[in-house]
Amino acid sequence: MTTTEVRPDDERLRLDRRARVLAEMEAEGIDVLVVGREGNARYVSGAPRLWTAGSHPFGPGCVLVRSSGAVHLLSTWDEGVPDEIPHENLYGISFNRMTFLKVLQNIEGADSVRTVATDALSPSSALMLPKAFPSADLVDAEPMLRRVRRVKTPDEVEAIRGSVAVAEQSLAAALRALAPGVTERQLTGVFMEAMSTRGVTTPTGQDVASITSREHPWHRTSRDEPVRDGDLVAFEAGVVLGGYAGELGRTSIVGDRPVDPSLSKQWSELWDRLLSACQAGASCASLLEAYDTAGVPTPPMPVARGLGLGFDLPLVTHALPGLAAEQHLEAGMVLALTGYVWKEGVGALFGQEPILVTHSGPEALSTVPYRS
Amino acid sequence: MTPAGLMASVTPTRIPEVADARRMQQDRLTRIRGLMRAQGVDALVLLGNTNVVYATGAIWPLADSGRANFEQPVAVVLADDESPHLFSPVREDDRLRTELPLDHLHGPVYLDFDEGVEAFSTRLGGLVGSGAVIAMDEWTHALRREHSVLFVGGTPVDGGPMISRAKAVKTPDELALMRQGLRITERAISDVQAQLAPGVRQTDLTATFLRTIFESGADANILDPIWQVMPARIADGPWTTTGDLACPLSSTERQLVEGDVIWVDTGISFGGFHSDFGRTWVVGRDPDAAQRAQFERWRSIMDAVLDVTRAGATAADLTGAAIEAAGGVKPWMPHFYLGHGLGIDSAEMPYVGSDIGEAFDASLVLADGMVLVLEPIVWEDGAAGYRSEEVLLITEDGWEPMTDYPYDPF
Repeated sequence: MTTTEVRPDDERLRLDRRARVLAEMEAEGIDVLVVGREGNARYVSGAPRLWTAGSHPFGPGCVLVRSSGAVHLLSTWDEGVPDEIPHENLYGISFNRMTFLKVLQNIEGADSVRTVATDALSPSSALMLPKAFPSADLVDAEPMLRRVRRVKTPDEVEAIRGSVAVAEQSLAAALRALAPGVTERQLTGVFMEAMSTRGVTTPTGQDVASITSREHPWHRTSRDEPVRDGDLVAFEAGVVLGGYAGELGRTSIVGDRPVDPSLSKQWSELWDRLLSACQAGASCASLLEAYDTAGVPTPPMPVARGLGLGFDLPLVTHALPGLAAEQHLEAGMVLALTGYVWKEGVGALFGQEPILVTHSGPEALSTVPYRS
Repeated sequence: MTPAGLMASVTPTRIPEVADARRMQQDRLTRIRGLMRAQGVDALVLLGNTNVVYATGAIWPLADSGRANFEQPVAVVLADDESPHLFSPVREDDRLRTELPLDHLHGPVYLDFDEGVEAFSTRLGGLVGSGAVIAMDEWTHALRREHSVLFVGGTPVDGGPMISRAKAVKTPDELALMRQGLRITERAISDVQAQLAPGVRQTDLTATFLRTIFESGADANILDPIWQVMPARIADGPWTTTGDLACPLSSTERQLVEGDVIWVDTGISFGGFHSDFGRTWVVGRDPDAAQRAQFERWRSIMDAVLDVTRAGATAADLTGAAIEAAGGVKPWMPHFYLGHGLGIDSAEMPYVGSDIGEAFDASLVLADGMVLVLEPIVWEDGAAGYRSEEVLLITEDGWEPMTDYPYDPF
């Protein structure tokens, strides 16, 4: 589909999401939600805003009032803003903290609400929020938002499928360019160009291609080094379309030669175990156990993380064993499942597959799911 | 090749070709730790991506903010340690390009989760003594619940302004890296401008831009590139909170047509620094007489501002010169500024003409070594307008240009 103007997210998609948040605010007794993280603001408002890379410092990017369902949004213009957010609820870019204080003070019931939740804090907002909401306790919105966001609506699953499709097509272009002499940066450039010619100009990450090291399980070489015949080159392909992250990872060998058979075999064993662990109701710890039973060390990156408007649950990493144990996979979760095996003198096989957890097992969201 | 843009008339002399990364990082730590000691801060904990870049010298390609918020490198600067600590989710590699001792490089921490905060505070507790004064630039609620090290004595000191102050004046090594990043940006822009024609989509221009920046050595793109087709009248564009122009608007697959007036705004990151670029183009034909007149007015405003730009001048001196040259109106967009600093962030102090207010502008004094982007506009409602950006190094007796991209087709 060709997009020639910035439009708000589809009505059903955005209203379903907002209704979920409002229901959870009701259950938790949260009167006003103030979010700074772009994914949270998009989830609540349905309004796309200009993409900039990197973490954004906390500020009141979007406000949701439980009693009225009103959304107040940081946006200097109304392009891409849904009709149900009236002009008077838009507030513009400002470099002056007092401006934001006034915006918050003018929100209905600001002086009397009892509970205000935010998704993060900064020193200046920690001072400002009690002035804006003098009767309120300031509480953590993230557990509630993570709970709401982790299971996708059918429309969200379709949105992620769309992102994955663009990631897959753009990755195919980068794979076609893989040949001795090309550099990692050049491969990243090919990916970005292919993605943009498909109408999507925003990646989830900007480190697309990496030569896996023969000497160390995770170390990388320079991004300017040319790939050589026999290198195992890992690709992390991710795009953001309509706000939703679609990510997949593949590893390809340079030149017409087979991958080391013992590494391939180890990969297959690990991947089979990971896939079979992706069952609704299973503990997320079973994904870490899949590495153990395959005899593969867990990689430094998470072995699974949710895909959505940026970061979602589940998050499964060996660094957080307690979190892994307390999370369960649920039907409707979408996760980037990561496999990683390495052999000295050979390199690594890295694979990432966007998986929809269903009652009948894991469903790969790419058209050519990763095998061996 | 003949220098163009501002460099056609002024040759820079202060910007070295090569940077010494180790010296650059030592200079930064000297500044940060000096500010910490002055405020009695023992440990500075930084979460913001760009603050971590400044304090550690770590370089990694910045990700979408949705990912960046949890794959978040964290820096800890100690007042009594010349090397910072880095907790990084990026695979251990030379992309970090840090000179950190190995015992200062740590694995990832997950500060959105109590379990992650617990692991972090245990590590931090081993680095600082009990009762240490902590400063932070931002925090999660999980961090706020931590009462053994971080919030033990109440709310931490605001660490953001320390970095903001430390980074405002650039060292020669920093200027060298910034110049390289600006060159990469302009190389890519040159490829894009060659492609500009009726029928080309905005996203096609982005495709060319992104491919060239990565091929030319950029670490990342930092802004979805803007190739905004300007309306003839403000009222023909989107509604705004200010009643003024809506800009910058995100690019789409909109096809350009002959005569479109395009306002360009892009930036990349290189060596930890952000670049900035702005020009006005006309699609498929030469600018007409009215458009050339707009450009000449823009030049006269820029010249008037440049005439008063030097170390010791206040931001109000610059805004005053701009307003006078523009005939009494502010020649910039009210939701932005006449100018802004550039460096580790795409927009940082000094802000010139922002809504922080006139008293602030009068108090803000430019210093030798600051890098300033000036971005005045000329707008003629009914006939669109002209906008370009110039990146300057502030010096004792004036300024030096940091870019040499031509004003073509003007």
